[in-house]
Amino acid sequence: MKKIVLTILTVAALGRAYAQNPPAAKPQAGAIALTGATIHVGTGQVINNGVIVFDKGIITAIGDANTPTTGASVINVSGKHVYPGLISPAATVGLQEYASVRATLDFNEVGVINPNIRALVAYNTDSEVIPTIRNNGVLLTQAMPLGGTISGSSSIMQTDGWNWEDAVLKKDDGIWLNWPGYYSREFNFEDFSVGLRKNSRREAAINSLLATFSEAKAYAAQKTVTPINLKFEAMRGLFSGASNLYIRADYAKDIIEAVKFAKEAGVQKIVMVGADEAHRVASFLKDNSIPVILSPLHRLPNRQDEDVDLPYKMPGILQKAGVTVALSYNEEWWRTRNLPFLAGTAAGFGVTDREEALKMITANAAKIMGVDNVVGTLEKGKHATLFVSKGDALDMRTNVVEQVYIQGRTVDLDDKHKRLYKIYKDKYEGQKPLAEKK
Amino acid sequence: MKKVVLTLLLAAGLSAPGWAQTTFPNNGVADERPNLYAFTNATIVVDPQTTLTNATLLIRQGVIEAVGTNVTIPAGTVVKDLKGKRIYPALIDLDSDYGMPEPPQGAAGGRGRGMGGPPQYESNKKGPYYWNQAVQPEVSASLLFKANSTKADELRKLGFGTVLAHPHDGIARGSGVLVTLADERENAIVLREAVSSHYSFSKGTSTQAYPNSPMGSVALLRQAFYDADWYKKGGNKEQTNLSLEALNKLNGLPAFFEAPDRLGILRADKIGDEFGVQFIIKGGGDEYQRIDEVKGTNASLIIPVSFPQAFDVEDAWDADNVSLAEMKHWEMAPANAGVVAGAGINFALTTAGLRNKTEFWANLRKAIEYGLSEQKALEALTTAPAKLIKADGQIGTLQKGKVANFIITSDNLFSANNAILENWIQGKQYIVTAQPTADLRGTYNLTIGNRSNLKLNITGKSADKLEYQVVASDTIKITPKVSVANDLISMQVQLDRRNPGTTRLTGYRDGSTLKGDGDLPNGQRITWTAVRAGENVAKADSVRPVRKPEIGKVIYPFIGFGNPEKPKAEVMLIKNATVWTNETDGIMQNADVLVQNGKIAQVGKNLTAPAGAKVIDGTGKHLTSGIIDEHSHIALYSINEGGQTSSAEVRMSDVVNSEDANIYRQLAGGVTASQLLHGSANSIGGQSALVKLKWGASPEEMLIKGADGFIKFALGENVKQANYPNPNQLTRFPQTRMGVEQVYFDHFYRAREYDNAWKKYNSLPAKEKAAAVPPRRDIELDALAEILNKKRFITCHSYVQSEINMLLKVADSLGFRVNTFTHILEGYKVADKMAKHGVGGSSFADWWAYKMEVKDAIPYNAALMHRQGIVVSINSDDAEMARRLNQEAAKTVEYGALSEEEAWKMVTLNPAKLLHLDSRMGSIKSGKDADLVLWNNNPLSIYARPEKTIIEGTVYFDLQDEDRKREDLSKERARLIQKMLTAKAGGTQTQRPTFRRQRMFHCEDIEGVMAEGEEHQEAEQK
Repeated sequence: MKKIVLTILTVAALGRAYAQNPPAAKPQAGAIALTGATIHVGTGQVINNGVIVFDKGIITAIGDANTPTTGASVINVSGKHVYPGLISPAATVGLQEYASVRATLDFNEVGVINPNIRALVAYNTDSEVIPTIRNNGVLLTQAMPLGGTISGSSSIMQTDGWNWEDAVLKKDDGIWLNWPGYYSREFNFEDFSVGLRKNSRREAAINSLLATFSEAKAYAAQKTVTPINLKFEAMRGLFSGASNLYIRADYAKDIIEAVKFAKEAGVQKIVMVGADEAHRVASFLKDNSIPVILSPLHRLPNRQDEDVDLPYKMPGILQKAGVTVALSYNEEWWRTRNLPFLAGTAAGFGVTDREEALKMITANAAKIMGVDNVVGTLEKGKHATLFVSKGDALDMRTNVVEQVYIQGRTVDLDDKHKRLYKIYKDKYEGQKPLAEKK
Repeated sequence: MKKVVLTLLLAAGLSAPGWAQTTFPNNGVADERPNLYAFTNATIVVDPQTTLTNATLLIRQGVIEAVGTNVTIPAGTVVKDLKGKRIYPALIDLDSDYGMPEPPQGAAGGRGRGMGGPPQYESNKKGPYYWNQAVQPEVSASLLFKANSTKADELRKLGFGTVLAHPHDGIARGSGVLVTLADERENAIVLREAVSSHYSFSKGTSTQAYPNSPMGSVALLRQAFYDADWYKKGGNKEQTNLSLEALNKLNGLPAFFEAPDRLGILRADKIGDEFGVQFIIKGGGDEYQRIDEVKGTNASLIIPVSFPQAFDVEDAWDADNVSLAEMKHWEMAPANAGVVAGAGINFALTTAGLRNKTEFWANLRKAIEYGLSEQKALEALTTAPAKLIKADGQIGTLQKGKVANFIITSDNLFSANNAILENWIQGKQYIVTAQPTADLRGTYNLTIGNRSNLKLNITGKSADKLEYQVVASDTIKITPKVSVANDLISMQVQLDRRNPGTTRLTGYRDGSTLKGDGDLPNGQRITWTAVRAGENVAKADSVRPVRKPEIGKVIYPFIGFGNPEKPKAEVMLIKNATVWTNETDGIMQNADVLVQNGKIAQVGKNLTAPAGAKVIDGTGKHLTSGIIDEHSHIALYSINEGGQTSSAEVRMSDVVNSEDANIYRQLAGGVTASQLLHGSANSIGGQSALVKLKWGASPEEMLIKGADGFIKFALGENVKQANYPNPNQLTRFPQTRMGVEQVYFDHFYRAREYDNAWKKYNSLPAKEKAAAVPPRRDIELDALAEILNKKRFITCHSYVQSEINMLLKVADSLGFRVNTFTHILEGYKVADKMAKHGVGGSSFADWWAYKMEVKDAIPYNAALMHRQGIVVSINSDDAEMARRLNQEAAKTVEYGALSEEEAWKMVTLNPAKLLHLDSRMGSIKSGKDADLVLWNNNPLSIYARPEKTIIEGTVYFDLQDEDRKREDLSKERARLIQKMLTAKAGGTQTQRPTFRRQRMFHCEDIEGVMAEGEEHQEAEQK
């Protein structure tokens, strides 16, 4: 069976000479059982020689080798690893294609207070970036707006679908707020240096934000309002708990003030994003049950005197302090395919073990974004959004994704990079390649 | 009104000029005076080594006629008794802009045209001058000089008598003028013109695009020196160039170079060495941070006494924004002059750089408190500067025949209680501190009207700093307000608390009595007297034992994680490790590696440790050769000289910054060597610096000796400025890939002709050669001719196949080989052509999509190129990614399924080959440099991290030692923070912590155009 599936995939890839993404996957036709696998459940549990069965897009059984596979097409994946689809929070995948080409950028709207702006509708399922991240195991991505002070709302997208309506897993899961910083960046035209100085206009910015939130809350207390205020309509969920408030802030004082602000404003669910100095306020975050989506760990320390590995060990510090952590690649859309390696780095620098690190790109992210009822772990009743890797998916050498299922749909593993690889490999093979150098 | 005018005229007319106005007509009758003065009974510091007590100084017509203890005073001499006072030579400042024109407004940094206008590629200075506005050796400070009494007064008050002034504008700034600070006609106060020549790295007010980087400044200066030489040898027959003529005239004068900091001193000295000039270098006050290297230059220095302010570190979190380096410099800057003196470096002090000139004495005294001897301080302000400008026959001491520039002080010049009383310049008196006509200190019986039981106490440290107290009874002590002007005295006192009101008394001194009349609060007129009843028993200040303040240690480099001692090479045996040899032995299990004399001495099994060797247990660990980053921009002050299409003349080795935190961070990632490349702003960039990441070493020590020369070329979007936002600025040729090809042909054809011209010239018979005008040395064409002659090698920034192919064809047609294409993201499309040409590829593992020219970039690129036989390396071009190049290499296992051994070579042996360093680096083989990394895991694993990073047998990063190092760092920070808090509590002014973020460079960064922190923009600009 496995061979058949693989052959079909290969043929599909070969047959396509045009430079387009593979088509969206067809709905799951019959039950599928993956057997013999090392299953990383996403809860911290690992099942060796395990079996996972899914039908109509839903996991129907998961367990050891004795788990019945009756009626399912059995695919033996012995020696391979099965993972829940990785989740990339705080991303601009689908919202941008080529950074230097303005026409391809759709994540940064003008204006300051834009809660009504929806990333959902700009999510381009035909982005050539999407298959490349999917093929490293990233099966879910949060389409996030940037810009202004309140940037708009994000949605959780699957990396498969004909259009955004197909692809969406959860619409408008939260509103994004760029916290007015304690420090502001000041450019000195005299010596062309940049310094961070105390932000003199911060109080005014916070006051105006507070006014916006107060009015939005008062507005939300009414069922219908005339005339309709699009901005306040968009913010209703913040006060009912239906949507998250994602706050971008890095400096420790900002984190504390932002959380205090949101609570005072009546926001029910708060998520800190970026949070470069979260280690400094770890107990505050824990006490207030505030989860954190960290900036890419693959960054330099912010200050000369900081530990050289501070960004790498941040998830471990927070994990040990009891803070819920998810990892992100932020607006670095194409780099999102390296998300599993951020988890690998976290595991190498202090997170207790690899399964805990895996949670930071699966279960934790799902929980933070309110989609843990369907994704994030491989449990019965949840979506069959998962992938098979040749080996440890958190390590570059073994993150070789061989099968991808999104809601049970068998996803074509072709992408632009593989196509070009094949085209030129064929070209050189046709030319009788030069002897391989040692 | 009339009266006022008359008063002014009177003031001017009373003081006759101290010099002969021979050539000037005189409005009125002649008023020639002998200007003959004797200063007697003084302590005279003739020079820093000679002090005479009870001596006499005799001056006539502004010149010292005699000094000594046995001077005959001629008839007609005005004699001034200076008993108890001292005379010093007046001070000299060699780095002054006194009397120079103010630079035009808004022109700072040479970017006066603003950011929006089109770049100005040609000089806008009309006339037969050099092609670049920043080179203006024809400027003569003496022609610009205009005396300025306000500024002169400011300096006179500090005790200065003479300054060397020059306009601080440009890279070659022309000649300096030696002037006194007298308020006279310029004819008198210009002591000498064209005393000195002046240079800097700063283009100043030049609005021309080139240079826009420090290495461009260096190259421009170099070229100007070569051009001057050419001009002298016959170039003047070809053109008239006043700038070059002037540059030749300056030759031989004391040459001053303004450097921004300690590394700038080294850089300036290096230029001097190339041209046989020993510059006198003005430093930044941080010489102590690299004192050995600074001393090694043999340069005399001009040193400021400006010290940084303390930071406000009261808020524990905000204080994080102040770096250890900033805090340590705050603590140690006052010790700088003492350290420089202690190192035996000849130096002069300057007031330049002070926020406020009045800080001069306080700061100088602080420098003395921190270890500078008074004698050295005096030398550095008198004899040393005089000698540096060869004016020691005129100024600097009080010997006979010298200009009568001296100061009269109340005390030891350097004592905190000292007052400079008078400053005599060219024999003319300037009163600095008005001296009281009498010492009023004492106890007086005070009678005010009918109140006679009062006492007035006048106390004070000196006669000119008095404190007053009126004692009404044992318990009632009143502080009156008193002002004394000459013998007039005015006092206001609130005598009676029950009847509040001010009694106002005015009067005069009459012998030892003060008297006069005044008004009681009620308006009643009364008389008053204060009759001296006794001497004031001034309590001598208990002499505080002068203790040199305790300060921390210098660290190398002067930045967090720097070491107090530079690490040393060791003999070591690493035992029982998995050794990735990159040689035919492949990956050896349970192998030993012996390191001796910085080299790999032996590789094998069961090796025996020589006596004294450090044995490192490698069990369960992996040992590899160090990572070599083929494409890096760390440890540089600047990346792009983008002012011209070709900047082949610039050398990154001129701007290596040994004090960059990223060096240490990358050591922690296993990097041991890097090619520091010029950026990609222009088709022909600059010459690379190949370095080893020797943390703590000087820039010169970091450079890999004997390495081949490399140069950066660039193709595509950056070169054609495709992503510049401002259409006004798109005027530089080329703007298309079509034009890029022509840039190369044009430059290489010219280089070939140039090279032929030199070859022809060099092969002339001696006699003809002597008669011929040598070709003009052109350092840009030198570099290009080196490429043609296969002595310099190209690393070319490249993306799309068309342009790659183009450069291959250009090279083929000119008969040279392109060494490396870097980035080369579409290399896989032309890998066959590349292999045929023999060019290597240095690529990113998986970067793409950040701009149009990388839309077809694929992570399989390295594997495809490798399989075509191309030497492929994986590079960073990014300070962060360089810390995990091992992971980037591992991606070639995921994408393209290379073997782990081949993958690992992509960041070690292959870059060594591309850099022609593989005979010394890149593998673990006996005889090669011991550049090694010990990993806790398979180095390609995501979980791997270096435990030791070793360069030439010296451990530069040691994970075992890291905890201690971090603890030391935080302890040192804590100590300094406590000290700053104490300073603030003691009233010291502090500055708010400003978080200066270091700029991170990628190849497209043009200095100033893109600022740190604009991360999304940076990502686009790779």
